[in-house]
Amino acid sequence: MKNPPALEQLIDSLRCLPGVGPKSAQRMAYYLLQRDRQGASGLALSLNNALQVVDHCKLCNTFSEQAICPLCESAQRDKTVLCVVEMPTDLIMLENTRAYTGMYFVLMGRLSPLDGIGPKEIHLDKLIKRANDGIVTEVILATNYTVEGDATAHYISELLRARGIKVSRIARGMPMGGEIEYVDTGTLAQAMLERRSVFK
Amino acid sequence: MASVSSHRQDNQSVYVLHTYPFKETSLVVELFSREFGRVATTAKGARRPRSAMRGMLQAFQPMLATWSGKLELKTLHGLEWNGCLLLLQGEALMCGFYLNELLLRLLPREDPHEALFAYYADTLKALASEQHLATTLRRFELKFLQELGYAIPLQQDANNAPILMQQHYRYEAEHGAYPIRGTLARYENGVQLSGKTLIDMLNDDYSDEQTQQQSKQLMRYLLAHYLGDKPLHTRQLLIELQGY
Ligand SMILES: [Zn+2]
Repeated sequence: MKNPPALEQLIDSLRCLPGVGPKSAQRMAYYLLQRDRQGASGLALSLNNALQVVDHCKLCNTFSEQAICPLCESAQRDKTVLCVVEMPTDLIMLENTRAYTGMYFVLMGRLSPLDGIGPKEIHLDKLIKRANDGIVTEVILATNYTVEGDATAHYISELLRARGIKVSRIARGMPMGGEIEYVDTGTLAQAMLERRSVFK
Repeated sequence: MASVSSHRQDNQSVYVLHTYPFKETSLVVELFSREFGRVATTAKGARRPRSAMRGMLQAFQPMLATWSGKLELKTLHGLEWNGCLLLLQGEALMCGFYLNELLLRLLPREDPHEALFAYYADTLKALASEQHLATTLRRFELKFLQELGYAIPLQQDANNAPILMQQHYRYEAEHGAYPIRGTLARYENGVQLSGKTLIDMLNDDYSDEQTQQQSKQLMRYLLAHYLGDKPLHTRQLLIELQGY
């Protein structure tokens, strides 16, 4: 017994989602058509709409419905500092801190040498152009503290320094309220290696 | 120790070589283990935000791993730090990725290579010291191919005559060095080099500039031969980055 062609096609399409194999795709398709037809039609509409209106901001590269996103357009932001993050979720996290008032650039990924993800995939061209606008004086690298995030930070800093731009990297170490007893060994070792002097 | 029923391996010395997404929330974790060689495992739920395993899945750090299963893909139960943290930065970090890619590409699964494991650990330490990265890579490449069982004759030429310091040779994979008589010509196969380079490599002496150059060409040629048509991602990435 085979599924009707339109259903087969839906199952096939669902498989483009990360981590979704044939079985999960079939489960999802059955669910949408059997249990939640209203949700399914909402999904179809919003997917179609998002595809039409969402693009990347010309300046910061994050998802945006305008050519320049509201954050890049804002007059309240400090245009001399540019913070580089891997993903839009990282940008939102940093915004939640309210500790940063500068601009952003979203790479939409990170260099991943073993997966063949290189400079094109993380829009290095666009970043170099953005950082060279004549207004930015400091670039803060807020890529993840993973081996890939470190490699990404390293190459971006080399390229920007060669162009005379000051580059810094967000600090790492003990978590807020962190008790040494419960912190993982790697974080603790890093915190020890990257200790700093105490000023009075 | 291994129990026959669950095929469980406790606290094995390993390095994480690479991870990639598996199903909705899991990861495939490719390990290099001292006792078992390259082992592929799955870390269930490791992509969930609160996963205890998440922060541990970092390459280049000595770890102890516990896994079970008898199929090709084992189940990873735990990872613990084992020894001091290694800090690979900048170019040394890229060299580390390169080592891992070589292991992933050429080391067959579950083929134990204890000597190679020890050498890999030492190579990471050498990279972390950030001195003579190129020499560190040359030593590893040679040792790696030899450990995998590929013959890289450095003492004698293809006719079993001793390598001569002043002689020019054409080195061909699977065969070795052929003395070049008369004028130097361009050859389809192999790499041209001096006898001194081969003797230096045999003596693990990379101080000479020509030796550095020629050993690099030789190893690149030999690795390309054993890797086949698919080039290394890490090398490709370095080439692309040079374009900026
Ligand atoms: Zn923007």
